[in-house]
Amino acid sequence: MRLSVQHETVYDYRPAVETAQHTAHLQPRETALQRVLGFDLQICPAPEGLRHGQDAFGNPQAWWTLLQTHTQLQVVARSEVQTAAPLALQGSQPWEAVREHFRYRSDQPGDAQTRFVFGSHHAPLDEQFAAFARSCFAPGRTLQEAAIDLMHTLHRDFTYASQSTDVHTPALQALQARRGVCQDFAHILIACLRSLGLVARYVSGYLLTHPPEGQPRLVGADASHAWASVYLPELAGSPCGGWLDLDPTNDRWGFGAPGEDYVVVAWGRDFADVSPLRGVLQGGQSHTLKVGVSVAPAA
Amino acid sequence: MPDIPVSPVTPDTPPDPMNWLRMHTQGAPEGHWDELRNRLSASADPAHPPGLLWSDFVDHLGPEGLGSLNQRMASLRRQVRDNGITYNVYAQTDQPQRPWALDLFPLMIGAQAWQQIEHGVRQRMALLEHIMADAYGPQTLVARGLLPAALVQGHPGYLHPMHGAAPVGGRYLSLAAFDLARGPDGLWWLLSQRTQAPSGLGYLLENRLIVSRLFPEAFEALPVQRLAATYQALVEGLKARAPVATGEAPHIALLTPGPYNETYFEHAYLARYLGLTLVQAEDLTLRGEKIYLKTLQGLQRVHGLLKRVDDTWLDPLELRADSALGVPGLLQAVRAGQVLVANTPGSGFLESNALLGFMPALAQAILGEELVLPAIPSWWCGEAAAVPAALQQLADQAQGGVVKPTYPSEGARQGFEPRLGRQMDQRERDEWAGRILRDPEAHTVQSWLPPSHLPVWDDQAAGDGALQTRPVILRVFAVTDAHGHWQVLPGGLARLGTHEGIASMQRGGSSADVWVQAPSREAVNTATLLGQTAVSAPRQRLVTSRAADNLFWMGRYSERTENTLRLARLGLDVLGSADQSSQRLLGWLSRMAQRHGLVQAEVPTAQQSVRVFERALVSGLWDTQQTTSVGYNLRALVRAANAVRERLSPEHAQMLEQTETQFFDLWRRAEQAQPGRVPPTPLARRSLQQTSQQLAALTGFQTDRMSRDDGWRLLSMGRHIERLDFLAGALALAMEARLFKEQAGFDGLLNLFDSTISFHAQYQQSRTPQALVELLVTSPDNPRSLAWVAQTLRSRLRRIEHLADGATHRLAALLPDPPTDPLQLWPQDSASPEALTALLAHYRRSAREVAEGLSGLFFTHSGQAAHSVGL
Repeated sequence: MRLSVQHETVYDYRPAVETAQHTAHLQPRETALQRVLGFDLQICPAPEGLRHGQDAFGNPQAWWTLLQTHTQLQVVARSEVQTAAPLALQGSQPWEAVREHFRYRSDQPGDAQTRFVFGSHHAPLDEQFAAFARSCFAPGRTLQEAAIDLMHTLHRDFTYASQSTDVHTPALQALQARRGVCQDFAHILIACLRSLGLVARYVSGYLLTHPPEGQPRLVGADASHAWASVYLPELAGSPCGGWLDLDPTNDRWGFGAPGEDYVVVAWGRDFADVSPLRGVLQGGQSHTLKVGVSVAPAA
Repeated sequence: MPDIPVSPVTPDTPPDPMNWLRMHTQGAPEGHWDELRNRLSASADPAHPPGLLWSDFVDHLGPEGLGSLNQRMASLRRQVRDNGITYNVYAQTDQPQRPWALDLFPLMIGAQAWQQIEHGVRQRMALLEHIMADAYGPQTLVARGLLPAALVQGHPGYLHPMHGAAPVGGRYLSLAAFDLARGPDGLWWLLSQRTQAPSGLGYLLENRLIVSRLFPEAFEALPVQRLAATYQALVEGLKARAPVATGEAPHIALLTPGPYNETYFEHAYLARYLGLTLVQAEDLTLRGEKIYLKTLQGLQRVHGLLKRVDDTWLDPLELRADSALGVPGLLQAVRAGQVLVANTPGSGFLESNALLGFMPALAQAILGEELVLPAIPSWWCGEAAAVPAALQQLADQAQGGVVKPTYPSEGARQGFEPRLGRQMDQRERDEWAGRILRDPEAHTVQSWLPPSHLPVWDDQAAGDGALQTRPVILRVFAVTDAHGHWQVLPGGLARLGTHEGIASMQRGGSSADVWVQAPSREAVNTATLLGQTAVSAPRQRLVTSRAADNLFWMGRYSERTENTLRLARLGLDVLGSADQSSQRLLGWLSRMAQRHGLVQAEVPTAQQSVRVFERALVSGLWDTQQTTSVGYNLRALVRAANAVRERLSPEHAQMLEQTETQFFDLWRRAEQAQPGRVPPTPLARRSLQQTSQQLAALTGFQTDRMSRDDGWRLLSMGRHIERLDFLAGALALAMEARLFKEQAGFDGLLNLFDSTISFHAQYQQSRTPQALVELLVTSPDNPRSLAWVAQTLRSRLRRIEHLADGATHRLAALLPDPPTDPLQLWPQDSASPEALTALLAHYRRSAREVAEGLSGLFFTHSGQAAHSVGL
């Protein structure tokens, strides 16, 4: 599917910002299922020293400085991507065996993806996550089955409530409240998997805004979206590296992406690694933020 | 335990030193190495003679011998105080700084033992560099199973954003500290290593300066290895690795969290000694991936930072967003190779205790070598195979193990205090076993090593003092020189614990100098002499915008403190005198007190109630919330001065602290005796008198002991702006109140201008308004006259014209000279001298405009906190 994305962010400041440093994860990355055909970043006011590079997880990242006094920052990212359908793969390894795979044993090779097994700021380890997950992780069950089941459970038992949380709401609190937004669901799912000793990462991206005729419009389609991805080491050699994407918000899953109508922007340990736009400001003590995203089939 | 005979020791009857030593110490506790006797301590020990190093030391004590220890201890304390060596115990603004704790005797290390330490530390430094390079590069050590990912990417000190960045100048580490203890076997064992921001390099230098002077003969006789060359190697290494464009001189700065950090003294001291600019994060800014220092002279490129800020605080853009101690964009500058940060951010994972257990295998795999310097046995519980041994170690009553956190406290992960297995009962041990099994990766068990004991001199002990012993930990440092080789500083910081065990400096431990014996006299490197001079010449003295701002306010608050103090004293004098008949004087005093915030606004005037007004005046002195009286201004002065502490001489800093402490002491004592009670007026007056003298001394320090650069000029301008405003205002109110009509008013005004003596010398008893105007307004010779103040301000403004393209010239033009003839301002027989009134109003306005002008030119953004969005 050929999709074009526009992601607009507008900050209005009061009082004016004197200087600012920004960094952004707005350019979609290349994946097994996704090619980036074009990308354009417009920043107003004009930045100094705009630099494009890659972060530690291989995501495109941009940095810039604003030196002139400004009361508004407008950032528009336009991309065009070619997506493909998820890979048809089937994992068969029981989840306990996968968990053992990440345990350290002297002189046994270490898997590089182990870096995603540790608790992180937004997706910490906690017994409450493990307890929530255990109903799906019966002994001997395959990791693939159990993880997909956990995603179903999250989707079924949790209420999607926009504005109910913000990025500072801890995942544990969202778990207890059984409500949140896509970001919370992704963090909860990741925290559950990690608390069982499994490897999971956070994926930020977009969804097609208007679905093809006859299909329902998905939640989170008019903003940036987020989901989780779990790692099956037995499939590490496949094009998607063994990563099974799970979108608990829409109950969709697939190897490489939850679907062809998904655009992957970046992945990391949690939101903090891939925040679309982050900044440190001098001045501008209060602000309002407007974000608009549209994803449409490319003309 | 044997009784210690108490025999008075005097220089007249020098005792046999050996015998004396033997008699005066009971030795280290059993099972610890005894540094004095150079052997494992056993109960039968006390008669055993001292070892070779100590025998030598005692032989070279000089003619006074051991009888002089009390004098030497007193001299040591005096030097610590005179040098202003302090250690902040977590740092509240109103808490006094604590003097650095230093013991008399050095820890002496023989040439051979040192050789092993030196080789061992150099080898470990090479290993750490390699491990870090691998962790931020190919990560083969994790892939090969030589290191658990949990101790690399799973450690909060591992900074993912630094992965893949090449080290600036080819080395990740420029400096590391290693903590060692000497075990019961007499060998030195590694306890831990510090790479993020190790402290001690400054304190150990001060220790050396003081202790080597107390025992000059013994110092030469050992002979002791010198330290300066290693400091020089550190600086040369930083300069060699800094990314300098051709033709540029490398500019290296020392990045400190600021004056409230517990080791700030050392930051300022080291910066001076190494010839580095002392900076805080807010002094720095990123422009096009380069780091610049904001100075009065404009932006100045910084090529290297020796940092004393922990890693996660370094860059609020990519690391902790709530950090005010970091420079937004710093990591990007490091990754772009535009600034050397020592050490490269992300070395924190190397500090984990758990890493020690993997080092033998890593040494084999990386270097193909055995470790020269052993570490205490460590078991990381994240490795299932290690858990049984770890639990067994904890349960072992004889040896005893310690359970320690693998990771520092960070975010959701709560650390815990290390706990000794021997001190646990069965139930507690089971609890710990449970905790370990629930979260094995977070726990590391280490063997407990009884540290050696060093004799210390306790001059407070009954009799004439006594020898005690204390457990000692040795911190040694390795630096990376200009060729990328590692050099070990031949010396270190000995940290002494209390009887119970090793205590950190924050918990009341002490320190000692470390004397490393050179293999021969010829081997002593005396090429560079250690002294007060810097090992590398400082660059042109830069005045940071932040320092300039603080100096300016230091000047303003100095003057405000003096002004409010003089006003308060005058008020109490007048109110306390028998003759309060001058209603004019009382009215003027009330208005002055109101204007400058000495009393709260709703307080009745002195004319309405002398008594109430006086009480309000006294209670306001210490009230820093509702008034802006002496206490308020004094606090503000100390705060501004603390921010530029590195520019003040130790005496100056001490005098400031003493002035504040003593001033508030009176009030504190009164509060303790009876909360809410205002100290009696006579006490308040005495306190003000004392503070007044101290302020005079502080003024002396400002005018005589500070180098007169552009920063000092701003301090001076701050003072004169305040003086101009205060005096012009006082005079204007005096005219409104027609104070000149009465002798009491006339004298009061002279008093406030501190010009009583000058007046009587020049005019004797002729109290005419013209005489007053001449002395207080037009005189070019009286430092309290408005003409003098305006002229001084103008000249300072002109001296800094080069800083702002002549913009200060315009400010100087706001300050005209008054007419030279007082009659032009106050014609004979005039009742309302309009020219004078207009001039006073003009000066007050100008004072405000000049202050605002300077702020606009030099201090914008300098104090503003940054904040984050989009997290």
